[in-house]
Amino acid sequence: MKEETNKNGFSPGGEQELELMRKALDASITGVIITNNLLEDNPIIYCNAAFERMTGYVRNEVIGRNCRFLQKEDRRQEARQKIKDAIENGEACIVEIRNYKKNGNFFWNELYVTPIKDANGVVTHFIGIQNDISPRRKAKEDLERVQRDTDRLVMERTRELRESEEYLLSILQTVRECLIVLDAEMKVLTVNDQFLRVFKVSRAETEGTKLYDLGNGQWAIEKLQNLLENVLPSNNPVLDFEVEHDFPHIGKKLMLLNAHRVELEGQYKDHILLAIEDITDRREIERRKDDFLSIASHELKTPLTTVRGFIQLLQKTPNTQLPDQFSSALEKANTHLDRLGNLINELLNVSKIQSGNIEIYRDYFDINEAISETINAFREASKTHRITLKGSIPEQYYGDESQIVQVVKNLISNAIKYSPEAKEVIVTISMVSEFVKISVTDFGVGIRPDEQNRIFQRFYRVSENQKSFPGMGMGLYVCEQIIENHGGTIWVDSEPGKGSTFSFTLPLLINNDRK
Amino acid sequence: MTENKTILICDDDEGILELVSIILEGSGFQTVCVQNSLEIFKKISEKDPDLIFLDLWMPQLSGDQVLKTIREDESFSGLPVIVMSASRDGAAIAHQAGANDFLAKPFDIDELVDKARALMR
Repeated sequence: MKEETNKNGFSPGGEQELELMRKALDASITGVIITNNLLEDNPIIYCNAAFERMTGYVRNEVIGRNCRFLQKEDRRQEARQKIKDAIENGEACIVEIRNYKKNGNFFWNELYVTPIKDANGVVTHFIGIQNDISPRRKAKEDLERVQRDTDRLVMERTRELRESEEYLLSILQTVRECLIVLDAEMKVLTVNDQFLRVFKVSRAETEGTKLYDLGNGQWAIEKLQNLLENVLPSNNPVLDFEVEHDFPHIGKKLMLLNAHRVELEGQYKDHILLAIEDITDRREIERRKDDFLSIASHELKTPLTTVRGFIQLLQKTPNTQLPDQFSSALEKANTHLDRLGNLINELLNVSKIQSGNIEIYRDYFDINEAISETINAFREASKTHRITLKGSIPEQYYGDESQIVQVVKNLISNAIKYSPEAKEVIVTISMVSEFVKISVTDFGVGIRPDEQNRIFQRFYRVSENQKSFPGMGMGLYVCEQIIENHGGTIWVDSEPGKGSTFSFTLPLLINNDRK
Repeated sequence: MTENKTILICDDDEGILELVSIILEGSGFQTVCVQNSLEIFKKISEKDPDLIFLDLWMPQLSGDQVLKTIREDESFSGLPVIVMSASRDGAAIAHQAGANDFLAKPFDIDELVDKARALMR
């Protein structure tokens, strides 16, 4: 060593310096090796302690070997060619190369290769400075992967969004309702084409304008404003709000408004979707239909009155002048005329209820007496069933007597009709809290649970009854409407094969506005 | 007595006119029939009836309009009118217009005669 230093021109003072430098190299956390390029296969002639720690090899396992032993079998790396070129050209280079520790564990080695040249420019040694950059590399790779994933996700999302946007757009443009998206300040963000068509306006004059400033202020209705401004904070939708207005360009129309808060996975929560439907024609058709039904049933009653009257006149003729079968035929004709009359009444009632103009003529009446009279009329007509009245109420009831009697009549005639095998019908009147409760019980065919809700629908008939029990399916519908108009409730308890009990309640106390 | 009483019947339907007049005549009344409601006032002046049976839905002049005119005209004061109608609102309309009674169509002939008698007592 001394000779070597001498040969290399180190001073004696330099020997101490050399020892210090060796110690400094061992103290470094950077791996350092030196190879001798003058020897065959450029072997390692020096490694510091950090190199030993980094690779897991000890000095005597390293010296004499070419650096490539660190690559183990992983020989097809681009970095190798770069090192090879640098060594051949005697140049410095920096590469990141996959190396393997003694235990086989892989690490990323950031390698600086620096050539050492003699006075003639011949490369005598290479110094390799090594850093395990695995953690840095991993973080970088993780970051790259996250970026790749993010990019992919963003692309997918964009595509999905575009697809769902197109999907929504096609719906928005296809529906026959006018749609408006409003922001929290009730400014119009977008409208669909149907809106522009129906109101004969341009997109430019609509979007960006406050809803209440559109047209000639058709939507600046205080009640509507209150409802709309409540949609976002409360999430209460505006349902079936009708606006009748003389609109610019299109004239007097009846519009139906529905508004909901727009919610897309927490986004766009400040937006309101307002749907507007022109129901002018529909309402007119409904009105004409109701008028038609009213006129038709009224006109049907006139000849019925005449026929019934003349039959009654015949019945009044003294019996001695008519043969027996004559009077029995007249009686039957009369019975069926009554049926015809009832059907016409029901038809008239349905049409009135539909148009919402069935009026209640309230007055105080004795409900016990009214029902008792109704039952007596049935007793005279029906010999097949015994109709019993149970209970009574102590007070007069304030309501439309003819309508309530109509309900009881419908229920009793149903009870008789649907219990051909039974002999009894029970009518019960009672007070329940502040309600009058009336029930009609039969012991007949009963109603299946799934049919029980539907029997109050207009024109609904229990399927198996279609043939054996003819009818139009209006009676119970009319009953329900009448009871509801009186602020009451009607329902049925029934078991197939055992019978049915139809009950309704009427509140005794009536709100002043109902009077 | 009833024989001296004259009842005017006003209805646009010929069948009703015939029926009501047969019923009333069978009960001993004299009847006058008016099919076109516009002619009713002239007939009232001519025949001076003791009672009127008046339909509501009539094409020329509706029953409630006829009744209002009768009630506003002092020369017809005290003339009892029974409105008859097949319309459900009939009773209310009749009451509002100042009818003395209401008869729903289709009616029972005894009911018709009873109501007529009650108002001419």
